[in-house]
Amino acid sequence: MIVAQQKPLEEINRMIDPYEKILIVGCGTCMTVCDIGGEREVALLSQALTLLQTTKGTKKHSFYISTVKRQCDPEFVELLKEKLSNTDAVLSLGCGIGVQAIAEKFSDLPVLPGVNTLFIGMTKEQGVWDERCAACGECHLENTGGICPITRCTKGILNGPCAGTKNGKCEANPNMDCAWIQIYNRLERLQQLDKIRQYYEPRNYLPLQRPKRFINNALYSAGETHG
Amino acid sequence: MSTSLNAESLVQVHQSSDRSFMPPCQVACPLHMEIREYVDLVAQGRIMEALKVIRNGNPFPAICANVCTHPCEEACRRGQVDSPIAIRALKKFAVEYGGDRMIQTETCTKYSEKVAIVGSGPAGLACAYYLRKTGYPVTVFELHTEIGGMLRVGIPRYRLPQYVLDIEGERLTRMGVEIRTNVRVVSLDLLFELGYKAIFVTVGAHQSLKMEIEGEESPGVIDGATFLREVNLGFRPYLGKKVGVVGGGNVAVDAARTAVRLGSEKVNILYRRSRNEMPADSVEIDMALEEGININFLVQPVKITRQNGKLIVTCIKMELGEADSSGRRQASPIKGSEFDEEYDSLITAIGQIPSLPSDFKIGTGRGSTIQVDPVTLTTNRPGVFAGGDAVTGPATVTEALSAGRLAAKRIVDFLQHKYPEREKDKEAITTPLLEETIVNIKKLARIDPPVLPAKDRMDFIQEELVYDWKSAINEARRCLRCGMGAEITSQDECASCLTCLRTCPYKIPQVNPEGIVEIPVDQCLACGLCVTECPARIISLRKPADYLDNVEEVLKNTRVINNNPLVIGFGCQYGIYGTGTLEKLWESKGRIQIIPVLCVAKIETEDILRSFIAGVAGVFIAGCGEYCAREKTAAIILKRTERVKNILKQSGINPVRLRTIFAGKDVDPAKELDKFIDDISRLLLTQAISREVKT
Amino acid sequence: MVKSLFEEKLNSGKFLVTTEIGPPKGTDTSELINAIDLLKDRVDAINVTDHQSSVMRYPSLGGCLLIKERGGEPILQMTCRDRNRLALEADLLFAYSRGINNILCLTGDSIDVGDHKTAKPVFDLDSVQLIRMVKTLESGKDIAGNNLKGAPEFCVGASVHPEADFIEPQLVKFEKKVTAGALFFQTQGIFDLSSLRRFMQFASQFPVKILAGIIVLASAGMARYMNNNVPGITVPPAIINELAGTEKGKGLKKGIEIAAKSIKTIKDEKICHGVHIMAVGNEKIVPEILEMALAG
Repeated sequence: MIVAQQKPLEEINRMIDPYEKILIVGCGTCMTVCDIGGEREVALLSQALTLLQTTKGTKKHSFYISTVKRQCDPEFVELLKEKLSNTDAVLSLGCGIGVQAIAEKFSDLPVLPGVNTLFIGMTKEQGVWDERCAACGECHLENTGGICPITRCTKGILNGPCAGTKNGKCEANPNMDCAWIQIYNRLERLQQLDKIRQYYEPRNYLPLQRPKRFINNALYSAGETHG
Repeated sequence: MSTSLNAESLVQVHQSSDRSFMPPCQVACPLHMEIREYVDLVAQGRIMEALKVIRNGNPFPAICANVCTHPCEEACRRGQVDSPIAIRALKKFAVEYGGDRMIQTETCTKYSEKVAIVGSGPAGLACAYYLRKTGYPVTVFELHTEIGGMLRVGIPRYRLPQYVLDIEGERLTRMGVEIRTNVRVVSLDLLFELGYKAIFVTVGAHQSLKMEIEGEESPGVIDGATFLREVNLGFRPYLGKKVGVVGGGNVAVDAARTAVRLGSEKVNILYRRSRNEMPADSVEIDMALEEGININFLVQPVKITRQNGKLIVTCIKMELGEADSSGRRQASPIKGSEFDEEYDSLITAIGQIPSLPSDFKIGTGRGSTIQVDPVTLTTNRPGVFAGGDAVTGPATVTEALSAGRLAAKRIVDFLQHKYPEREKDKEAITTPLLEETIVNIKKLARIDPPVLPAKDRMDFIQEELVYDWKSAINEARRCLRCGMGAEITSQDECASCLTCLRTCPYKIPQVNPEGIVEIPVDQCLACGLCVTECPARIISLRKPADYLDNVEEVLKNTRVINNNPLVIGFGCQYGIYGTGTLEKLWESKGRIQIIPVLCVAKIETEDILRSFIAGVAGVFIAGCGEYCAREKTAAIILKRTERVKNILKQSGINPVRLRTIFAGKDVDPAKELDKFIDDISRLLLTQAISREVKT
Repeated sequence: MVKSLFEEKLNSGKFLVTTEIGPPKGTDTSELINAIDLLKDRVDAINVTDHQSSVMRYPSLGGCLLIKERGGEPILQMTCRDRNRLALEADLLFAYSRGINNILCLTGDSIDVGDHKTAKPVFDLDSVQLIRMVKTLESGKDIAGNNLKGAPEFCVGASVHPEADFIEPQLVKFEKKVTAGALFFQTQGIFDLSSLRRFMQFASQFPVKILAGIIVLASAGMARYMNNNVPGITVPPAIINELAGTEKGKGLKKGIEIAAKSIKTIKDEKICHGVHIMAVGNEKIVPEILEMALAG
């Protein structure tokens, strides 16, 4: 799922400065799971901003709160319509997708990002998330025993390891395991070491050309518009 | 779910309805008392409120507090962990410390139909109480000179003091119940002629069963019920040095213990089965043994002869066979094992049956008990109801009270021509705790109330004393609060983040085979941690009883005065008013306003922030620390306060203004609090000075 | 066909000595030129590093051109950290056109260890893919399959890490580089000759030349710093202690001694085909080392 981190309070406060009535919108999916932008965090942020106002002695903003199930689907974003009639700006605690989805739907309203979206990752333990997928469009996991070299190797190389590995850790971050040592060990366990002995061509970056779009023809009917 | 609310009037999104399941104690109690609720109130130190809850479910708590056989304790699931909660003793504590004696019930007569109650045992008195409360004129007829039935004549004074019954009688009279003692009712027709519209027959079971053996009529053989009655009425019969008591129930044990108090040196109980099958209360049996009473198991008298002024009792040895329908093993005599024993007196206590005047003309059944419809308690005579030992045979006080209460309800239905609805019970917890749950619960030993040592009990003064405050509350705190645990209130909004699963110290929330997270109601112990951690805020306790809803009120009503800092504290209710771990807080010098919470782990980050928004100088959180009866609470609240301190820093508030204080062996909460207040005062002074310097 | 003077020397069977110089952080190349002049006739070839340790410097290609101008034999170090495949191919074409025929193909240190920590790491290719790219260009095509108008020719080298704590994956990588077309290898710093010997037992089956990397340490502090901050370097405690035990100011002398001793042993015992001296800013002392090691 998508993992993000809340922006510092000062930064958010600076962003909302020109606006009076602010609707803080949370997301009920990824942002709730990583406890960054769900129902609880939205309420907390509204309080923290109120507190900041109080200590600064200003009373510029009024905060309203709402959470939708998923900000990345237009039908859910649509549900915000009535609440926006009395709003000057939206502060979204959804990932970058959510911010843009709201902005696209309500293009007359400034929509501000309350979080910094970090990566697609998995939960390692309560409160700890690791990136696992770079959405490279060319999944290579068959050759590396299920360990992604793009996200877990600092240099993202395909013919690893480099010489910078020490004690099984990466030269760039001594707390991070060297992905290629992991890959070697895993392939050995799977009796597939010939895979690491193979030469891998340079990556194909074509799938990563931006802006990216994917159409699933099984679902898509040309000519039909969405709400 | 979305809420569009202005943040300043942010209201806690807790459900206010009661979706709890009935706990096993309440199910087992014949009166279905709200035991979980009053035990929790005792644990919090709210004794008078606990008494109110008790009185809601029981008309005579003082009586039950002394003599109830506590089926609730047998059902108590804490027993699976270490020992059951001492519920009866806690009730007694609430009765004494809550001022039960002073409570009067206001009534007035709303109806004209008179009701007659024949018999003033617990069933009769309960029926009178409830009927009178509803507003009906009631007359209680009692054969003896004093009211109480078996309570008065059957239970020894060292278990139930005289004055307890007298107070209840006095209360009933003040309520307007007419009590006529020394009156033998011989005919129900007469009562109807006198204008009574309904009659409740509750004459109890006072007639002792005979052993049906040769020599039973010999002088020196006395039946237990008569014996106890005479002693309670003030007689002091001399039974001689060696006394035998036949039987294994409470009457037999009571008789034996009374005999000891009357001076007999050797008292033998003769019981035909083994200890396992003895129906008497286990604690009573132990106390009897402490007092030097001997129990001969697996013997039964078969003949009595009188010789030289003594009784020769011929007994036969018994052996146990298969279990009967009640689950108890049957005893059969061993041929040729007869033996003789010499006694000065022999008391028989093998059971009682009711005895009804034939003129009552009501149908009786097995054991001479009155036959009634179990739902309406009606006999074969319209307008005549029956309940108590007269219907069930010898049973417990609480069952009788329950029958009396039900009878009152049914009599009202009858008089008002209402259809007698069957009571719909709430869903109940019927399963035991799982091993996986038990292993994570902190083990705490049961604290029993103090009892007079055996040597001081050779009198008829009350032998069981009342808890002291701290012991009672520490005992009440062990309650697991079955059935009022957490519930995911909106599966639709659940993101399946698994936070509740990972937070729970008892590992209760589970992912079911369909991938949906569930919190099994019969395992959850209502600690409330998942409620405060759920990122989607969709978990709430099935029966919230928090003070936290009060935060707004408290903050609204307190004004901030600059040179005398106002400090708000969230303190554990159990620790501050109950167990005493935090009571030293009151010795602190500052101007503090304490908001009690039911365990500090339930304080949400927002509540702390709200206090700062309202302008307080400082916030402290006082928890029980190592004395907490729950798990992980200190760690959770520390994590939470770190979060708040972070936000405070970013909001321009010095994080020093938030402090946690945990009770501990070497910690003086008052000193910690004073230090905190000093730090804040210094901080405010510095701020004030720097403001002055600027201007 | 021999592509460069250095390749000739590789084939000659003599004991090879190369060294490396780091370019300046700026346009003032005076010290660089001095170092080149000092060393160009004393060694078989000089490497110019490419933003070593991800610290931005004057380009390796520029340094190699200077070496060429001054009459030395350059080895162009090329990393994949900062340039995508087009830029790498273009630089190779240019290098060849200016007579720079020796390439050392490296993946490159990660951005995090350097001084432009917020830069975007490229790593469009890794070292093995870079070697293949060189070979592909030599065949007259770029790696997208298009024909070249004029193809370059290079003597290709790569690096290897015989003292890695987990050696098997490094050997796999080494073999891949050999298969891809590398002719010579310069190793990471060697401090333990027995591990070099063990490595050579494996490596000698391949027709490639191995030059042992010799790092000149100046103090125990420097050794520790390198351990913690420079990728691929592990100075064993024994050496750190030896340096720590020397008189103040005599650290560099000790370092030189240690380095010379290693080189001598490697040469005398023919452990591998040569050495690659890394003086880490102290290029002036290289002649001294060589004298100490190779005289007699």
